[in-house]
Amino acid sequence: MGDVGRKVPERFDVIVVGAGPAGCAASYMLAKSGFKVLLLERGRGPGSKELYGGRIYAQPLRDVWPDLDKKAPIHRWVTKERFSFTWGSRVVTLEYRVGRSVSFTTYLPEMAKWMADRATEAGALLVDEVVVDDIVVRDGRVVGVRSGTDFLRADVVIDAEGVNRILLEKLGLAERLDPGKVAIGAKEVLRVGEGAINDRLGLSKKEGLAWLVAGDVTEGVPGGGFIYTMKDTISVGIVLHVGRAVEAAEKGFLRTSIHGMVEKLRLHNYFKQIWGDADVVEYGGHLTIEGGLGLVPKKLYMDGFLVVGDAAGLLLNTGYTIRGVDFAVTSGKLAAETVVEAFNVGGPTEENLSVYESKLKSSFVWRELVKHRGISEIMSDPYYFTVLPALLTSLLKKLFEADYEEPTIMDAVFEAASEEDISIAKLLLKLASVVGRV
Amino acid sequence: MAGYRVVVGIKWVPNTQAVRFDPKTGTLIRQGVPAIINPQDLHAIEMALRLRDAYGGEVIVITMAPPPAVQGLEHAIGMGADRAILVTDRSFAGADTLATSYVLARAINKVEREIGRVDLAVFGQETIDSSTAHIGAQVASWLGWPYIYYVKQASLSNGSLRVVRQLEDVIEEYEAKLPAVISVLAKALRPRHVSLLNKLRARTERPIITWTNKDLGLDTRCVGLKGSPTIVAKVTYLPEVPRLKKVHKAENPREAARWLLKNLLSDEKTRDLIARALWGEGSA
Repeated sequence: MGDVGRKVPERFDVIVVGAGPAGCAASYMLAKSGFKVLLLERGRGPGSKELYGGRIYAQPLRDVWPDLDKKAPIHRWVTKERFSFTWGSRVVTLEYRVGRSVSFTTYLPEMAKWMADRATEAGALLVDEVVVDDIVVRDGRVVGVRSGTDFLRADVVIDAEGVNRILLEKLGLAERLDPGKVAIGAKEVLRVGEGAINDRLGLSKKEGLAWLVAGDVTEGVPGGGFIYTMKDTISVGIVLHVGRAVEAAEKGFLRTSIHGMVEKLRLHNYFKQIWGDADVVEYGGHLTIEGGLGLVPKKLYMDGFLVVGDAAGLLLNTGYTIRGVDFAVTSGKLAAETVVEAFNVGGPTEENLSVYESKLKSSFVWRELVKHRGISEIMSDPYYFTVLPALLTSLLKKLFEADYEEPTIMDAVFEAASEEDISIAKLLLKLASVVGRV
Repeated sequence: MAGYRVVVGIKWVPNTQAVRFDPKTGTLIRQGVPAIINPQDLHAIEMALRLRDAYGGEVIVITMAPPPAVQGLEHAIGMGADRAILVTDRSFAGADTLATSYVLARAINKVEREIGRVDLAVFGQETIDSSTAHIGAQVASWLGWPYIYYVKQASLSNGSLRVVRQLEDVIEEYEAKLPAVISVLAKALRPRHVSLLNKLRARTERPIITWTNKDLGLDTRCVGLKGSPTIVAKVTYLPEVPRLKKVHKAENPREAARWLLKNLLSDEKTRDLIARALWGEGSA
């Protein structure tokens, strides 16, 4: 059929595997610099396999797309941060009204599509519905990708495959996923209506709320609940530490499924007033990185090869903020810069691409991960997800639920502790170690 | 060209599994619902590709649809079709099966005039969004070609077609002279995945032609809404069976079945509902 069109290009300068935030950022930057880029995605359309809580930190994305604020599909700018401890019907909530909004809410598939569109406008070629089975290595050099029986050559392959690192495992750069290092998230999207969201949460137009919940919503398993306001919907979900959840389930402590927990959170009397009987219009689940540096692969670069985004283990969960998309975009940008520089000094050799690691290690992404590296131990310790919320709610019960006589704060603390069978000494020791780590 | 030229007709349909029902108006909410290739048409594409792989020639996939259907045609090219034709025109909108089959038949005529002889036209058994199973038969009528449906296997030799057709209780074998039209039995074959190089070809070579009514030159009284004599006179919705919200943790399958049967039959209202759902109003 030689009568139709031009021939398939035999090789690309760069093949990017995965059209998520990291892959799209790398593709965009490289295409803009004149590289012939192929962006491969296994789902139907960019972002179709993605799911997250709902919030993105903006500035690192502006570094790549300066017109982000005007052009990106931003739902709401987060102006209210809430944090709640729940224990039974008792809830303690802390609210912070931010002075300057630094993050926004959006659906990740929508955002990924926007990023992929920027990449294709810059000249990258996006091909979806294609699964990459192998990164092809010859004589220690990455030379392309294999999908089924098809092989496609490239000078550089950028692995942006996400948290399920099938390709990295095959390359021997990553171990099989350790349940202790990943969390599972599940969420529901509730159609509440723009006006109702604004009225019930005291938000103005385009203002948003981000809300994290800890306590018995996860039934003692490390993790938490989250609530994010989109334009006319609210996302409600639960994140669980997989390793701890499995332990608890095997011992018989945990009997509720994660979607059962999401439903309980949706039906929780305290939270329910916000969305009432709103329809669940969507639901989904995804793995995520538990945080810290535990999931960084053995190597982030090889001859002709770079790893970015979740695949590179770049996600931080401090318990009060979760940063993944901005880290991914930054790593994609740094990978692209590295490739451009490598071609200026002789090509994508292992040595030239090793610059990526030094760039990454001197970036805010790595500094953040190092700074908060103690957090993963805390975030996987059931103690903080049972004792703290129990003590706090019990303490406030003593203070606020007195019919005649109110205890002093100190008395209340000790009464609450003995009622919940909590050792104050152990608590203080634990808290001291938290301070030490963080 | 050596071998056979096979045209496959596909439909770009809303994914009915994702379509929600508006309980107030009783209509489907199609807004924001992702479109897909009618799943049964994937089996038709697969059969055409297997014929080409076995005997040579080419597979041309054709659809009458609004422009976003290019996505579906790219998928077909990704599976291995050689080229694709999007037949699209505002005047084709609102077509019933008669008007649709007329446009498709005339498009196949145009393929014959401009690309070359068509040996076989292949369709899926029926579509998930309307389930009429008309199109194959109607296209065959317009073209004056023999039509065989529920085809499970097909082979070609010396200008004729042999097929195995599966009905509920018999398997029949037919032979027909080419050109012919067949529709493929639902789930007869396992449609192949999109391949990297084919999908890349879909994106780089643009092997998709677009034909509007300027190219086809059809009488506007015979296409779209104007050319569609079918009228939906009345739609009646079956009563929705209310959920009883009973959950039973069974000890074993046998006990589960026993519990289910006991519960279904002991309650008179449930018994009525089952009877009505199975045999219609008044049967209880």
